[in-house]
Amino acid sequence: MTHAALAAEASTVPDERFLIARAQRGDRDAARSLYDAHARRVHRVVFRLCGDEEMAQDLTQDTFIRVFDKLSSFRGESAFATWVHRIAVTVTLNGLRKERRLKRGADDLDVANDLPAPSNDVDPDLRSKLRAAIEALPPGSRASVILHDIEGYTHAEIGEMLGIAEGTSKARLFDARNRLKKTLAAYARDV
Amino acid sequence: MTDERLNELLDDARRTWPLPPEPDYQAMWGRIEREAFAGVRKESRTPSWRIFSIGLAAALMMGVGLGRISRNTTTPVPGVASSATDTATPASSDYDRAASELLGRTVMLLTSLPAEARNVGAGEQFSNQATELLTSTRLLLDSPAASDARFKDLLEDLELVLGQIAMLQSGRTRQEIDLITDALEERDVVPRIRSAVARFSKGD
Repeated sequence: MTHAALAAEASTVPDERFLIARAQRGDRDAARSLYDAHARRVHRVVFRLCGDEEMAQDLTQDTFIRVFDKLSSFRGESAFATWVHRIAVTVTLNGLRKERRLKRGADDLDVANDLPAPSNDVDPDLRSKLRAAIEALPPGSRASVILHDIEGYTHAEIGEMLGIAEGTSKARLFDARNRLKKTLAAYARDV
Repeated sequence: MTDERLNELLDDARRTWPLPPEPDYQAMWGRIEREAFAGVRKESRTPSWRIFSIGLAAALMMGVGLGRISRNTTTPVPGVASSATDTATPASSDYDRAASELLGRTVMLLTSLPAEARNVGAGEQFSNQATELLTSTRLLLDSPAASDARFKDLLEDLELVLGQIAMLQSGRTRQEIDLITDALEERDVVPRIRSAVARFSKGD
């Protein structure tokens, strides 16, 4: 299922509009239901962007604090899920820029669970080098690669999340991919 | 490295990128609730609603009052009849804006009503909001905005439904809520409000 379809599905949940309206008036139960519906996906994206378990939890909390603080300004012009993810990405990129805590993936792999079945197609060492190369990208470029190539968002969706034009998102990804190719070039020749 | 090879690596990464460990969502909610729903913030919501309603009612009363004074004092002069129209034009747009805001608030109240019916204590809050909206609705009925027959019909239906909600008490029964929601459905109130808001936003 595409992200657009996921967002559409989330936004058409019959009770969501009512939940939003109730939460806008300060109803905590409604806010909790919205949190329950979106927290897992937000946490996953935030974790993949920041690569740090503890930081992902903090930023996910910061995201929802911001969501409920700004909820009165939500007018339904975009799907609620898209709006929440835009805040999540903004909060995460700001957090990364502020704290300069880009953490290398190797440490986190030890604590990560629920791993998908490993693929035999790619050398595990090359796989870890790719992750390290992605995590070493500047935050904006890193977000482009993670959101587009790993999470599967479209450039239009990424543009909306990052507050940039669709073309800018494509250009950033192009630039990020060139950096990855350069970083991995020496190793790839050995394969 | 070729684009093809990089694509293969990224495809692999999509399948194998580690998922985060499952955090304690309940504990995370604790901090969110504390910081997002602090007492001061929650209390500030009711006054903001009241301030809006009072402001809207005041603006409408001023508009209606000025309209009446202007109708009573303006002496028609042959050949300069257009001056009355000229002075009415900005007032009409103000009425449209006020009507649009009123309808937006009303539709929010009406759409959340069925879902709120289960909440004990919500009746009084609904009643207060409906009373304030009712005042604004009656002022609009007495304003040039009601010169449009379709809009006047809508305002009259709103007056009826908001009157019912305004009479809700905290100890209301499920039957009362059902009667109100039936009235909303029978009169197609919410779709008509949305249609009216769309007309106002287009400037029709």
